[in-house]
Amino acid sequence: MTTAESVKVTINGQEFQVQKGAPLIDVCRENGFAIPSFCYYADLALQASCRMCLVRIEKMPKLQTSCTITCTDGMIVTTQSEEIEKAQRGMVEFLLANHPLDCPVCDRGGECELQEMVFDWGGLEERFTERKNYYPEKFLSPIVANDPQRCILCKRCTRVCDEWMGEDAIEAGGRGANTVIGTFGGWLNCSQCGNCIEVCPTGTLLDATYRHQTRPWELERTVSTCTFCSDGCQMSLGSRAGELMRVVARDRYVDGINGEFLCIKGRFAHPFVNHEERLRTPLIRYRKGGKLIPATWDEAIRFTAAKLQEIKDAHGANSIGVVGSPRLTNEANYVLLKFAREVIGTEHYTASEAFSLAPFFKHMTAPLATHKDIRHAKTIVLIGGEPEELQPLTAKQVRQAVRNGGAKLVIINSVPVRLKQQATQFLHVRPGTEDALVLALAGQTDDAMAARKMGVEVGEIEPLRRMIDETQGNVVLMFGGELSTEAQTILAQLPGSIGDEENRRFLFHPLPLFNNSFGVHDVGLMDGKLNATGLLDAAGDTVRALYVAGGLLPAHLQGREQALQNLDFLVVQELFATDTTAHADVVFPAASFAEIDGTYTNNDGLVQRVRQSIPPVHQAKPDWVITSLLADALGIDFNYQMSASAVFREIGEHVPAYQGLRYPLLKDESKPVQAKYQLAGQRAEVADVLAELRQRVERMTGAGDKIMETPEVGHELFKIGTLTGKVPQFHLLAAGNPEPPDVLVSPLYQITIDSGLRRDTAIAGD
Amino acid sequence: MFIGAIGCEPLQLKRVGLENSRTLDVYRQHGGYEALKKVLDGMSPEDVIGEVKKSALRGRGGAGFPTGMKWSFVPKDSPKPKYVVCNADESEPGTFKDRFLMERDPHMLIEGMLIAAYALGSRTTYIYTRGEYRYLINILDAAIQEAREAGLVGDRIMGTEFSCEVFTHTGAGAYICGEETALLNSLEGLRGHPRMKPPFPAIAGLYGCPTVVNNVETLTAVPDIIKMGGEAYQKLGTQKSGGTKVWSVSGHVNRPGVYELPMGYEDMEKFIMEDCGGMLGGKQLKAVIPGGSSVYIMPATDIVGKKVKMDYEGLVVAGSMVGSGGFIVMDETVDVFESTKNLTEFYKHESCGWCTPCREGTDWLVKVFKRIAKGEGRPEDAQLLLDLCDNIEGKSFCPLGDAAAWPIQSAIKKFPEDFRRHLMPMATRTAEAVAAD
Amino acid sequence: MSQQFTPNNPLPQEAKVPVEMAVFSLDVEAEIDRHLAKYPVKRSAILPLMFIVQRERGGYLDPPGVAYLADRLDVRITDIWEVATFYSMINTEPVGTYHIQVCRTLSCKILGAGKITEQCSTRLGIKPGETTPDGKFSLSEVECLGSCGTAPMLQIGFDFHENLTAEKLDKILDTCERGEYVFTVKG
Ligand SMILES: Cc1cc2nc3c(=O)[nH]c(=O)nc-3n(C[C@H](O)[C@H](O)[C@H](O)COP(=O)(O)O)c2cc1C
Ligand code: SF4
Ligand code: FES
Repeated sequence: MTTAESVKVTINGQEFQVQKGAPLIDVCRENGFAIPSFCYYADLALQASCRMCLVRIEKMPKLQTSCTITCTDGMIVTTQSEEIEKAQRGMVEFLLANHPLDCPVCDRGGECELQEMVFDWGGLEERFTERKNYYPEKFLSPIVANDPQRCILCKRCTRVCDEWMGEDAIEAGGRGANTVIGTFGGWLNCSQCGNCIEVCPTGTLLDATYRHQTRPWELERTVSTCTFCSDGCQMSLGSRAGELMRVVARDRYVDGINGEFLCIKGRFAHPFVNHEERLRTPLIRYRKGGKLIPATWDEAIRFTAAKLQEIKDAHGANSIGVVGSPRLTNEANYVLLKFAREVIGTEHYTASEAFSLAPFFKHMTAPLATHKDIRHAKTIVLIGGEPEELQPLTAKQVRQAVRNGGAKLVIINSVPVRLKQQATQFLHVRPGTEDALVLALAGQTDDAMAARKMGVEVGEIEPLRRMIDETQGNVVLMFGGELSTEAQTILAQLPGSIGDEENRRFLFHPLPLFNNSFGVHDVGLMDGKLNATGLLDAAGDTVRALYVAGGLLPAHLQGREQALQNLDFLVVQELFATDTTAHADVVFPAASFAEIDGTYTNNDGLVQRVRQSIPPVHQAKPDWVITSLLADALGIDFNYQMSASAVFREIGEHVPAYQGLRYPLLKDESKPVQAKYQLAGQRAEVADVLAELRQRVERMTGAGDKIMETPEVGHELFKIGTLTGKVPQFHLLAAGNPEPPDVLVSPLYQITIDSGLRRDTAIAGD
Repeated sequence: MFIGAIGCEPLQLKRVGLENSRTLDVYRQHGGYEALKKVLDGMSPEDVIGEVKKSALRGRGGAGFPTGMKWSFVPKDSPKPKYVVCNADESEPGTFKDRFLMERDPHMLIEGMLIAAYALGSRTTYIYTRGEYRYLINILDAAIQEAREAGLVGDRIMGTEFSCEVFTHTGAGAYICGEETALLNSLEGLRGHPRMKPPFPAIAGLYGCPTVVNNVETLTAVPDIIKMGGEAYQKLGTQKSGGTKVWSVSGHVNRPGVYELPMGYEDMEKFIMEDCGGMLGGKQLKAVIPGGSSVYIMPATDIVGKKVKMDYEGLVVAGSMVGSGGFIVMDETVDVFESTKNLTEFYKHESCGWCTPCREGTDWLVKVFKRIAKGEGRPEDAQLLLDLCDNIEGKSFCPLGDAAAWPIQSAIKKFPEDFRRHLMPMATRTAEAVAAD
Repeated sequence: MSQQFTPNNPLPQEAKVPVEMAVFSLDVEAEIDRHLAKYPVKRSAILPLMFIVQRERGGYLDPPGVAYLADRLDVRITDIWEVATFYSMINTEPVGTYHIQVCRTLSCKILGAGKITEQCSTRLGIKPGETTPDGKFSLSEVECLGSCGTAPMLQIGFDFHENLTAEKLDKILDTCERGEYVFTVKG
């Protein structure tokens, strides 16, 4: 990378060496000169409309907005003077002129940027005695409440909607003093991500699901990691008296990979935590075909331990299978693995993960991209996947890389995903032929065949290769779960065979589904003899008992319910009654992510903290604690002293990529820690894999219709294997986001949760 | 209404009195498209820009920026298309000269645009006309069609290699779209908010391409500059402001209208009292707003016997500006508090709402004005108004904020009596003052 | 009774499409094509097209008209909304057949614009900003229309009426009331 030229800038009489072209407002702030602003928002298009950030620059006739000024050599800046202070106080006075002073009943009271600004830059005297302009309060959607009168028109919301989400659903209408933020018809038809709420500095856009529930200062705030997808956004959980009230990213101290970004799941899908259907106590089915009956922890643990011991004695250790989950913490999965190996002594352990990244990890020849790398990449190749729906932060970074950073984007997909609006090149391939593209990337010789199978022109492949070749900067290779083992291997080896150049570097960004898909690989839980499907196939045969933490995926379970019936003994740790617990002999109530300490490893390979926000609800216990209790009952004390930190210390000793990590090293989310993955060299056996891949592609029928319709993001959410079925507003989305008859009434009143909802949609999706 | 030249040979208004003046035939009979021919016959783009520079022509849209210099900022080597846009949004209160230039002599504008396009390497040009001037758009469209049929617009103009299109575009009621960058946003189909400068339109304007935006009168001056040569044109006016200027005169005079005067016309008092036929009904002159609503108001005492020179420099010396040349004359019956209130309401209505000081400031100013007008004025209100103006002026995103502040600042300064009368507590107001309200 | 939305009881698919789209004659379509042809970017034609839709759809952008614009210009409906509400000549609510727009700005004001408005108001029985119940007249006060030299003035549709006097105004309103008013400027 070329280093930018440095220039001399004088601020309030002090000289600084700064990067040429850096925004003056940032430079001033970094050096300790406070500059107020509303409309300036790092990494969004400049607006320069609030006029708060005024400074005096020598040789310029008027005060200048420091957000629009870029540093040049010899610039002499004053940020504090009587003149500037008067101007800034004037602006605050203007902003307050039509702003209702109803802070006591405003949900933003206590964390409102306007309040803060008035505190620091406001005048003491109110000179405005005329009537304020009035607009009625209304709802823009089931989850966005809008009080237009409080708006200061910084337009962060409209920019975020456009630049982050690519939705452009909310806009400014009207003119002059009548300008309002809104939509056509007053109804927000979008993916309801709620980022407009987040970035709003005042109480104009508010979380309708949290309205008037608590005052912000009553909340206990806990910084944690999102439990919904592999992006691993940092968030702040707000709880009061053991209840999770809201999730935001806006608390100033949350400064993680996502800034203030969260998607609809992260922000709104938390009501499952305190949901009334949470399992309350351990349950035991004393007799096959009988009912699950509440039991005490002691009894349930004793009962389970005895049963497991019995089966082990009768059928051998390998007759017991242990299944972890990519939704659980590293700690939980690690302790499960340890339980399987050391307590049971079985070789049958795995996780209910559908998309194995093992071939990729084994052969990867380039490092993982962080989300920041993606934002600043120069070329992005996206093979398969649908990040917009499944990894929204990744989608946002990609969009910004293109829109705000000028990156080139190539998308290879059988669905015309919405991100293609940003794409330089879109290869619309037949479903299931993504492998062919990887084959083509590996060498020109297969172009014609690959193109034929994918249903694209041969000529469309070469430009892609050239684009990668000519990149100055980072090339990020992203891929979804569509790639076969062989294709993953070849792709992982690709950077090694092409090689980095002085100004070009390859980075990988796999797109697994779950919040800890990486972690289950890292701790070694995926290295067992059989995978989840294999275990179910052997159920009732060589496998007599299963110990499942976190429930099985519908993908594994579908059509195999009988397998569970065939088991002698099934133990499940869960939050809710599910299709897996329906067959269980013992069910332990597990604690949700908001109730535990631990770590998740996201798709950047960042090991991030999960922190306890509320005590476990009812009698729930963290998954790793349950496993430890079982171990103890079976005669082995793991000796963790009930501390997740102790578990993680052990992980730091035993898991190669986490070597030396401790909780204290992970405490600052603004400086995330990436696991140390080993890069593989060029491998000889790859030639064979390539041959296999070629055969695989040759076997493709070349039939299968491309999907022509762009899916509407968000409307499918409740189906995709998250817990969102327990959240009322998603039902509305699922119904196509229709406008209710009267938007002036809280639309949430109009939604009833359908009690006949199938259990698996609630827990695991279908 | 009078329309014609005083103190000079008419240039811009040469043909306005002729029958069928807007037809191509009449235009050609009176020297039309000769300048374009001269240009295409052997002038290089640089020659054209050179002549315009020599002419000391300053933009007639309000800011008075030297036109030749503006044209020379357009990068010659840019691979992007270049655009010439005519600013015919004329919405400044008191200004109506562009309207009559286009109504009576549309071909003059088309010729000016073609020459500008040639000089700047543009093949596509737009005339952005305010939506209310719909009849003018129809006139312009007809004239463009006529010119196209005569091979003067479109491909291979006059049989040369030069091709250029002229299109009309309509605004839809927004004063701010007269500001050149807001105009460009509007032309792109967006809300008419001004854009950040830099980059200036000459570098990145319409669709991000190099663009020159010029007022109608600026462009209609170009054919004459080419025909007579830049120096000769400059000599019609002063050293720094060449040529003639078209003024729109309205208000309490006997002969309102469109007047073409040489730059540096020597006496504003004479202009009002003689050329414009004197004050309506023989009343006393009270005030003049010489350059459209946005400039400082001038009291009679600054005009009568002061020999105010009517050009950019002269009016600055006299305490105001040429602006767009919208010359509003007010007699003794006008209450300057009321007239200022009227203009402030205009600015509030037209503020685009982008930036805080202008959006909230004009709204608040109007509220204060209305309260005072209701008889609830307070002595400290004059100070409040001035302070609000100070918080707007120089802090707004675009000059509209300044334009809203200046009339108030100058009115309070020059006509304190008119304000004081409204700001006295009710009880102490004289019967006369109350009656005058 | 308010409707209940659940996944098992989704609204009919049409609920997503707000309204049917306006349909125009071939002549109008040709006119629209001529405007679109002027610009390298479709969206640029938004204002000219809004005037046409407004003319064809009874004086304002009704929902089918808006849907048409969004489709024809390839923009989101919200983009139509943000632009339409910015410009004072684009109506998002119905206006009267005769939209009387009296200039209220300084030059007209000092030459009697106030009286003109008052006269309209009294005669039509509506205040500025209102429409008569029969939908025939709307009255507005507008900002300077470039007729300061021929003040006071008003505009009906796109027609200018200048140098107004009480008698002249009465005559104009008479013809309107009789439905004999002929618009001279074509929009
Ligand atoms: C608020 C505002 C309104 C303006 N209105 C007009 C206008 O109606 N017509 C015009 O020609 N210029 C107007 N201008 C000036 C233009 O921004 C620009 O300076 C002009 O079009 C440049 O052309 P010129 O160099 O030929 O004067 C306005 C400027 C501002 C700040
Ligand atoms: S000063 Fe600000 S609000 Fe006013 S018109 Fe300019 S940009 Fe718009
Ligand atoms: S931050 Fe600079 S103008 Fe708002």
